[in-house]
Amino acid sequence: MMQNSAAQADPAAAATGRAGFRAPWGRLSGMNLAVSAIVLAWFLLVIVPILVLFAFSLFSTVQFRTVYQPTLDTWIGLFSSGRWEVTLRTIRIAMTVTLFELAVAWPFALWLAKGCRSKTVQAVCLAMLTIPFFLDMSSRTIVWRAILGQSGLINTILMGTGLTDAPVDWLLYSEVAVHFGMIVSLFPPMALPIYLSITLIDDALIEASNDLGASPFQTLTRVIIPLSLPGVMAGVVFCLGPALAAWVEPGMLGGGFVNLISNSIESAYSALRYPVVAALSAFVIGILLLLLWIMYLVVRRFGDLSGSFRVQRG
Amino acid sequence: MEKQAFSIPRIGGRMGPSYAPIWGRLGKWGGFAMLALIYFPLVWLILLSISHNPLGGIPGAFSLEHYRALFASSAWHKPMLASLAIGLAIALICAVCATIVGRALPNLSSPGKVIFLFVVPLFVPGMSMGAALFIMARAVLDLKLGYWSVALGHFVWAFPFALLIVLVVTIRFDQRLAEAGRDLGASNWRVFWDIEFPILMPGIVSAALFGFLMSFNELMRSIFLRGTVETMPVWSWIQAAAQQSQVPIIFSLASLVLLITLPLLCGTFWLLFAWGKRQ
Repeated sequence: MMQNSAAQADPAAAATGRAGFRAPWGRLSGMNLAVSAIVLAWFLLVIVPILVLFAFSLFSTVQFRTVYQPTLDTWIGLFSSGRWEVTLRTIRIAMTVTLFELAVAWPFALWLAKGCRSKTVQAVCLAMLTIPFFLDMSSRTIVWRAILGQSGLINTILMGTGLTDAPVDWLLYSEVAVHFGMIVSLFPPMALPIYLSITLIDDALIEASNDLGASPFQTLTRVIIPLSLPGVMAGVVFCLGPALAAWVEPGMLGGGFVNLISNSIESAYSALRYPVVAALSAFVIGILLLLLWIMYLVVRRFGDLSGSFRVQRG
Repeated sequence: MEKQAFSIPRIGGRMGPSYAPIWGRLGKWGGFAMLALIYFPLVWLILLSISHNPLGGIPGAFSLEHYRALFASSAWHKPMLASLAIGLAIALICAVCATIVGRALPNLSSPGKVIFLFVVPLFVPGMSMGAALFIMARAVLDLKLGYWSVALGHFVWAFPFALLIVLVVTIRFDQRLAEAGRDLGASNWRVFWDIEFPILMPGIVSAALFGFLMSFNELMRSIFLRGTVETMPVWSWIQAAAQQSQVPIIFSLASLVLLITLPLLCGTFWLLFAWGKRQ
């Protein structure tokens, strides 16, 4: 198939040379057809379901059947008593986790991008930050049960050293454990984009700032922080999104005591209340969109966002 | 290049801000602590899997009994085979599609919008994406869910990564090489196979490997899209959530998967960065 389509593209490209290669979009050769087909399939597979998700949240459920009539009932139900509490708790936990990650990841990213002198250490750190994306979440999280539990590592150490007489029981199946589990698993998504944005800051800019007499603190707040904001934005979205939608951590470390949006979705899913599933999922996406928009406004006020991209290109 | 990097004043370095040392060190060790917290459970998992009583929490009385129990049991064979098959399919599709799109993107006048379209799933939490695909397939199109829908969910998750990895090598690719080949009379296929492919190879192989690993370890989307079928992570998740008796076996299984996955990943990184640079 590849051979065929490449052969079809051959005459056009050969005839026009470089110009033809620069603007292949206009030509309906086999390869471009394949690219267009993939783009179209992707649109149907990703964008359309997300739009359908938002549309579906406007329907309601009556006796396990979905009523296809636009109504805000499902959304109003989202803000009713019990569920609103769950939503608030989810937002609170997700915000706490995100702020903590930001506080730890930003200085680390700065050190990794500009302070680390050994290329090997840098490469190893980057690889270590990337590898967790490819590992199974549940097997990584379930081990924390064995570490935080009543007879786990922490309690054994605490009791062995005589710090406590009885096992500390708030370590597992509590909000603390859920926070902890999320903080561990969401560190890489926060650190990597920030690292990327700081590493793109031209060293000459920092040098110039020093040469022009700026104090280190001024260099930090006027040069490095504004230029790292795109990375911070990406990091916050990559961290807050999964935190709002956290499923594994509350399930395994919350032990049924910490109900988050994911639990609501799970119960709505098993009760066949699909509009509720849609509304809750859309709610999470909506919060992320809102956040992106707010941060875009802040960044635009703070400084010229495109400035950081100019640096990247220049 | 290394020399140049050393001559540039760095934060926390000799010419860097003088206030930095303590904060720089704090940042560094804070990050190291997080990395330790990420990797410690993996070590602990392996230690527990060779312990007599993994649920006790403290490794000890080492034995391979759970591995024996794992190989005696056949309950995990079907989900494992399903995950392997879906993973291989995703790897192949990701590599082919990412190569096709990745070669075309650098030649577009404004590739930004197309790239953004392809990375949208990175911004959408797994649960929301799973729910969106589920509602689309089950409630709107009324299809019967199964391995195909799980595979679609995995593809949506894995493809952005595969594409970004292939883009790393296609952007670096010197178009003049292909032009030279064409000027010398090579067909487009020969240009691709003899000139482009060997240079793009690390990226394409990495895209396939990453695609496989993303698919093999995916849980959130599979939970929504699985219908009644089970993949490996879903099976482990159900076992871990339902009752404790199977957990020792899960520890052994997860350890084995880890011991196979980690070298694969390290090899991929080496292939993508060290080997690619050496060329």
